[in-house]
Amino acid sequence: MADTPIPLEVRDITKRFGNTEVLKGLSLQAQKGDVITLIGASGSGKSTFLRCMNLLEQPDQGELIVHGESIRFKETKKGREPADWKQVVNMRAKLAMVFQSFNLWAHMTLLENIIEAPVHVLGKSKQEATEHARQLLERVGLGDRADYYPAQMSGGQQQRGAIARALAMDPEVMLFDEPTSALDPELVGDVLKVMRDLAEEGRTMIVVTHEMAFARDVSTQVIYLHQGQVEEAGAPDQVLGNPSSERLKQFLAPKH
Amino acid sequence: MESLTNWLDNLLADNSIFTLQTLSYYGDGLVTTVQLVFLSLIIGLVLAIPLALARGSKRAWIRLPIFFYCYVFRGTPLLVQLYLIYYGVVFVEGIQDTWLWVILEKPFVPALIAFTLNTCAYTTEIFRGAIKSTPRGEIEAARAYGMSWALMLRRIVLPSAFRRALPAYGNEVIFMLHASAIASVVTIMDLTGAARFVYARFYAPFDAFLFVAAIYLCLTFGIIYLFRYLEKRLLAHLKPASG
Amino acid sequence: MIDLHGYGPRLLEGALVTIELAVLSLILAVLLGLATASAKMSRNWVLHRLGTVYTTVIRGVPDLVLMMLLFFGGQIGINMFTDWLYYQFDIDIFINVNEFVAGVCTIGLIFGAYMGETFRGAFLAVESGQIEAGRAYGMSHALVFRRIRFPQMMRHALPGLSNNWMVLLKTTALVSVIGLSDMVRVAAEASKATREPFTFMIIVAAIYLLIASVSEWGFARLQKRYDVGFEEVN
Repeated sequence: MADTPIPLEVRDITKRFGNTEVLKGLSLQAQKGDVITLIGASGSGKSTFLRCMNLLEQPDQGELIVHGESIRFKETKKGREPADWKQVVNMRAKLAMVFQSFNLWAHMTLLENIIEAPVHVLGKSKQEATEHARQLLERVGLGDRADYYPAQMSGGQQQRGAIARALAMDPEVMLFDEPTSALDPELVGDVLKVMRDLAEEGRTMIVVTHEMAFARDVSTQVIYLHQGQVEEAGAPDQVLGNPSSERLKQFLAPKH
Repeated sequence: MESLTNWLDNLLADNSIFTLQTLSYYGDGLVTTVQLVFLSLIIGLVLAIPLALARGSKRAWIRLPIFFYCYVFRGTPLLVQLYLIYYGVVFVEGIQDTWLWVILEKPFVPALIAFTLNTCAYTTEIFRGAIKSTPRGEIEAARAYGMSWALMLRRIVLPSAFRRALPAYGNEVIFMLHASAIASVVTIMDLTGAARFVYARFYAPFDAFLFVAAIYLCLTFGIIYLFRYLEKRLLAHLKPASG
Repeated sequence: MIDLHGYGPRLLEGALVTIELAVLSLILAVLLGLATASAKMSRNWVLHRLGTVYTTVIRGVPDLVLMMLLFFGGQIGINMFTDWLYYQFDIDIFINVNEFVAGVCTIGLIFGAYMGETFRGAFLAVESGQIEAGRAYGMSHALVFRRIRFPQMMRHALPGLSNNWMVLLKTTALVSVIGLSDMVRVAAEASKATREPFTFMIIVAAIYLLIASVSEWGFARLQKRYDVGFEEVN
């Protein structure tokens, strides 16, 4: 185990939007098979943190190491930018993201959505990608929806489809950005079930979520963020069952 | 008086093109262009209102001819329409012996007819769209308060349709101003006609046409600002209340 | 049968000139429009300014004036250039501005400004999440444009594109004024010679309507293709 590189490591990331410092030096290390949940109130910076991990947001400072490879940056007039976009493209192909609003490509069928990146980014053959895609669709329970367009499916189906799209990349790490927040309550269960299955089979996952039950049952580590800093982190039993921070206690208190 | 002429002569001495004489061509051209555009827009507008209402009639024999008229005049170049009317009038057998010839002899009237028919077709469609998009609720409310069809049209439907049509009509006015440049093709000395004359006389295309382009640009901006002002005055009620 | 006094073949040739002129101008206009849209959205303020000035000036001046400026002015400009070549380098060439090329350039230049606005609107209408998903899955900028941005923006661009095409088609009639033998010029000559303006002008009008109807049908089909996936559920 010691020889395989760590899938994802983030060191001392900072980020500001204008005058507001959103991330004040955050670090994280995802070992193979880890499920790390990021929780916190809205505005705590948890989504921005996740988006920095695949550089959808550019961190101002800090290091990003994906599968042992450190991303190189250069200073420009407008701030720090990746020095080598090819490296970023390769890195992103290893970190598949699932978005809050699904972001399935609206002009493609579900099947086309799933094979798009494997064919055009990873260079797989269309036939191979299609076979794999069909298996994945069966897995997320959408075997009969391959030829549907996103607009023809429910939110829950779209999100499960989006998870299949992420899996098709055979990613090192899966990033989930509040995957159930945009769903009607009765559709949340199906999506969470798929995510639980993925965790059980040993996928490395980083999940931003408000689903405390999921965090408690599935995570290997829970990180509670407050105003761009780690307020409390550790095993779920400890962080969620026996929080020491007053703020976290309030955050976890049942809402009326 | 002499000193003024001298002063202007000195001012214009450095160039041989923009003399008092040529400037007066542009001045007359401006007057002709404005007359032509203004008259055709006004007449076209007045005709377009009943046509727009009739265009929505349930009776096919009323609706279809108007549809056909709009389709043809919006689907073919204004230049073709101008030629059709200009040559059409000139070549009618015996017309040169009648009293009509006095007004039709000059190309101004055929051009005015062509422009009016053209802008009327576009304006009819603009109003048709605006009338059609009258909110159903407003009509129902008018009915519920016992308004007659005519009263409802006059007090509710048309005023709100005019306002909604304003931006599109502003574009039509600019379009008409630009389209009027083709009047010069049938020898009318409008702005473009003046520019063509100056070009032919001095063989100076840049001076002649850039100058007239600048005048058109100013007129266009004038129209844009006028309509922006009108929209601000008349469409204020459609804006979300500002905090 | 209508008596065309032998103008039939020339009228047909004129119609072909009109169509060729319109199609080539459209291609130029689309390319210029894409360039203008990118310039106007660029962070480089020089490009941004340039794009704004271009679209504002072109849309504020009559097509015919621009056409004459470019056609007559273009000839003088080129003459000045060849004179300069002759005096400086003793190279003696004569370039005559071809009416057809001048027509395509002018109409392309004019409608490039309108297309620029159309494409800019369409570009911005594509949801940012769609683009973000492409980037998140490791697509390069070029790949995102080709596979996601372009197909999705076409849906928004087509109505404007179709409208611009219809106006462009009618604008081609103006080239008859600078001496190009399109169908309007042929018809005008025939009208004068035969004293039968109605016959020829109505035929020309009918051909314009025919071209417009055929293209309308074509655009409707294209729209259907790019609307795939966006129609409402059920």
